[in-house]
Amino acid sequence: MITMPQFRVLQPENVSQAVEFLAKHKNLRVLAGGSDLVVNLRNKLFTPEYVLDIKGIKDLQGIKENQDHFSIGTLTTLTEISQNPFIKEIYPVLAKAAGLVAGPNIRNMGTIGGNICLDTRCYWYNQSYFWRKSCNFCLKKDGDICHVAPGGKYCWAAYSGDTAPALLTLDASIKIANPKGEKTLALKDFFVMDGIKKYNLESNEIITEILIPKASAGLQGVYKKFRIRDSVDYPLAGVAIAGKVDKEGNCQKISVALTAVNPAPVLVTEITDLLVGKKLTDDLVEKSVELARKTAKPMKTTLSTMPYRRHMIGVFVKQGLEEILK
Amino acid sequence: MSQEYQKTNNTDFSVIGKSAQMIDGTAKVMGTAIYADDIKLPGMLYGKILRSPHAHARIVRIDTSRAMALLGVKAIITGKDTPVKYGILPIGQDETALAVDKVIYVGQEIAAVAAITEEIAEQALDLIDVEYELLPAYLNADAAMAATDIFIHNDRPKNIEKEYHHNFGDIEKGFAQSDLVLEDKFSFPRITHAAMEPHSAVANYDASGKLTVWTSTQTPHYVHRGLAKALQMHPSKVRVIKPFVGGGFGGKSETFSCDVCSSLLSKLTGKPVKITFTREEVFYAHRGRPDQSVHIKLGMRKDGKITSVYVKTIQDGGAFCSYGVVTILYSGALIAALYDIDNIKFDGYRVVTNKPACGPMRGHGTVNVRYSFEVMLDRLAIGLGLDPAEVRLKNMLKPNTRTVNDLRVTSYGYKECVEKATEHSGWAEKRDKLPFGRGIGIGGSHYVSGAANSIVRGRMPHSNVSIKIDIDGGVSVFTGTAEIGQGTETVQAQIVAEELGLPLERIRVIAADSDITPVDLGSYSSRVTFMAGNAALFAARDVKNQLLRHAAEVLGESPEHLICKNERIYVEYDRERSITFREALISALEHSGTVIGKGAYTPPSESQGGRFKGAGVGPGVAYSYSASVADVSVNPETGQVRVNKIWVAHDCGRALNPLAVEGQVEGSVWMGLGQALQEEQIFTPEGLTLNPSLLEYKSPGAIESPDIETIIVESIDPEGPFGAKEAGEGSLAGVIPAIANAVYDAVGVWITSLPITPEKILKELNKQKAEQKKK
Repeated sequence: MITMPQFRVLQPENVSQAVEFLAKHKNLRVLAGGSDLVVNLRNKLFTPEYVLDIKGIKDLQGIKENQDHFSIGTLTTLTEISQNPFIKEIYPVLAKAAGLVAGPNIRNMGTIGGNICLDTRCYWYNQSYFWRKSCNFCLKKDGDICHVAPGGKYCWAAYSGDTAPALLTLDASIKIANPKGEKTLALKDFFVMDGIKKYNLESNEIITEILIPKASAGLQGVYKKFRIRDSVDYPLAGVAIAGKVDKEGNCQKISVALTAVNPAPVLVTEITDLLVGKKLTDDLVEKSVELARKTAKPMKTTLSTMPYRRHMIGVFVKQGLEEILK
Repeated sequence: MSQEYQKTNNTDFSVIGKSAQMIDGTAKVMGTAIYADDIKLPGMLYGKILRSPHAHARIVRIDTSRAMALLGVKAIITGKDTPVKYGILPIGQDETALAVDKVIYVGQEIAAVAAITEEIAEQALDLIDVEYELLPAYLNADAAMAATDIFIHNDRPKNIEKEYHHNFGDIEKGFAQSDLVLEDKFSFPRITHAAMEPHSAVANYDASGKLTVWTSTQTPHYVHRGLAKALQMHPSKVRVIKPFVGGGFGGKSETFSCDVCSSLLSKLTGKPVKITFTREEVFYAHRGRPDQSVHIKLGMRKDGKITSVYVKTIQDGGAFCSYGVVTILYSGALIAALYDIDNIKFDGYRVVTNKPACGPMRGHGTVNVRYSFEVMLDRLAIGLGLDPAEVRLKNMLKPNTRTVNDLRVTSYGYKECVEKATEHSGWAEKRDKLPFGRGIGIGGSHYVSGAANSIVRGRMPHSNVSIKIDIDGGVSVFTGTAEIGQGTETVQAQIVAEELGLPLERIRVIAADSDITPVDLGSYSSRVTFMAGNAALFAARDVKNQLLRHAAEVLGESPEHLICKNERIYVEYDRERSITFREALISALEHSGTVIGKGAYTPPSESQGGRFKGAGVGPGVAYSYSASVADVSVNPETGQVRVNKIWVAHDCGRALNPLAVEGQVEGSVWMGLGQALQEEQIFTPEGLTLNPSLLEYKSPGAIESPDIETIIVESIDPEGPFGAKEAGEGSLAGVIPAIANAVYDAVGVWITSLPITPEKILKELNKQKAEQKKK
């Protein structure tokens, strides 16, 4: 087996202790379910001095009700979210997306916070140290060239989380703890369209809660995912849609988000602008598909091709809109 | 013992034909089975291998001094320590465990480190300095064959490992008599076995100068020979033990660098050394199915009779010969022996390239040509307005014939396979009648049930089994066979139990330890049930005859009138007269001590093929037959294929253990499914494998599995043990064209390159739409 790099493990009992560790140690990685981090550690993509194992913090687990939101603790497992009757009822898009992450054992380990914070992926990056060294590394780690867009200085590694696009359609935000205290950030402002920076989370910060507005409760939702093997694979293209029609059959609310086709999950707000207040027609579906395809900019970061991934985005948008709005 | 096959058609079996749980299954399920990597010896060191980042380069300098200075590093070896060339074939001695002078693929072994921990060994690799001088890299067969001066191996001009040109009958005459002749070119990517357990070896060179190696292998005997040669040791000083093995599928059929390097490092340090490959290293060790092009031309009369077949095929075999010569020969030889074809011409090329070496993989050599053939057969049938299943039935061989290329066919259950598979699948009601997007297809296949010729020429038996029975009443079966999960130990135990009239739990199998067990050539070419099964049967008959002599004295009867059953020995015509097995055993022990018997199996010379160049590969001591029918759905909007169900009718002669037969057939379906739809080992333009992991190399998982219905066809082979033939490989090659033909039935497009990806289907569908518009 590929060996692990050496590090010290820190196991805080509560959030404030976790934040203390975060403030104290610079070269540190946060471990929740470990299904992303451990593989990346073995590949020497990270060689931290410390690993902050937050699994033992009880406060960060489970689903709670607040004034205007439902709050999901960052350590809540994907299995729990996908099977929770309450979530299935009021936020079906999230339950569906969580239920399509990898396979059952990874969903048992993997957490919602970890899934949001997935590292971006590229087949020139998710490789062993020997492999990466053999082709002189890449921009994202240890090198200064991009194999996907040679000559470029921008990292195209694809964001490959399933739950983030679902949460974007629900207008979710996240609560972040840091040495200064707490802050809340809209999820759409969390992500950055850059395969290296990925998101706005400082090295001394952790996500503690995911907040979903009550206003989004009861929206119909679909999550559609293209992958080679339904048994385990990451998405190669994914579409989350939440919305509803009014009594007259006009679109009252609609929100479409894409994943795995850009360095960040992204809302296609133009589709919302186009459809709200209208009855869905074939023409509007066609226009929506075009808008989604234009937003999707998959690069040669996976074994599936760019045109096919973009094609699947279109297929999913069409299917999803028809399921929700017709 | 003389080779006398089962004479009667007796079917009153007690153990044979009954589904039995694998005798080694519980340990696997409980997690207590000991695999090579589980072995930990006192003072054991860990080895790691430095590999080449270049596809083709001269090694100018290797400096290990920085690595050697790392605390915990105990020894480092390089190519100068491994000068002796070896290889599985006598004509392919082209490998050294570590590269000498130059590297010829990305991932080739350059140096090996032994250290007190795996982490230190891995860190040390990064401290070894190697200077290279780059050479032109040939990353596909065309580029390699076009080379003019610098070759990968100096003794392989134009980088051609071997070419064969076979011509049987008169193909031109056959084509002239055809009502339809079609030709096309098919292409196949490189695929790999993806056995769950990676290669792993633990070597212990002890103070007496004896080397013991525990290694994950399908062929302990060939590893024994390979190690003795590579290490220049007398074979009696080398002991090879095969522990539990987590799958092979052809990928563990020869000596690997982990075997040689762990041995050398152990000798240098005086400590045991373990080397277990990472998954990525398994992709570099490879030995999988080659990238291959197949140009095929097939003729048919309007009644469906096949007239002629011409195949030209080129295999990109990677950096070493490995089994490559055998692979290319199988591609040609097994065009025959499935159907009755008078005219066959074959041009085959095995080419050396700067990629990891290919080797044998389930259905060795036959799969890609069989795909091309079975798809072309459907195209001809459809072109002539015939039912593809009927066309197959029109071209049946007869049992006990010799083919045009001198293969001896004995039992032949293919006709029944096609009939049963079509009947069970509702073929007649479905073919060409399902709605657009749903389809059904058929594919046929066959495989040798044991290669009639050994890799090592000579008249040595291919399988040997010895048996010992002592006062405890347990029967020890000593066999050199390599259980790799397919059930060889269980089947030999069943055979011995049946012959001695004992329950299965009375038998214990001691296997694959070169100091203890007799030689068996190994688990390849689907040979074990047939050959070792016969050897086990002959050995059991030997001890039985000894026991019957004593029983005969007690019973006052002649031995030929006695039978063994239910732990008793009966007078066959008067069942009232009997003694217990134990009484007979004690009588034998009192008379002459421990009861010991042996059996050996050598293929009959008439099975060993013709006299032309390359005739040695293709002959089997028997052939298994298989027909697959696939029911698929194709989404015309996405091109995605869902295989709903696969029916496989497989002729395994006699199913000694139906449960194990079903398991093997299902495994073949899954492996075929992977090659058909998903699997492909992809390289960067520099020759680096892009997807060396089980996440990115897309073997199907359980969710991708269709329903599988296995239909066992029993042709009762005249020479197989109790009539048995192989079940492990034969079905695979039929599954893939069955899926392709079903895709055509569903949406009307032919895909000529594997895997059949959604994108390829969409592309063909768009072409189809464009053409319909034109009309």
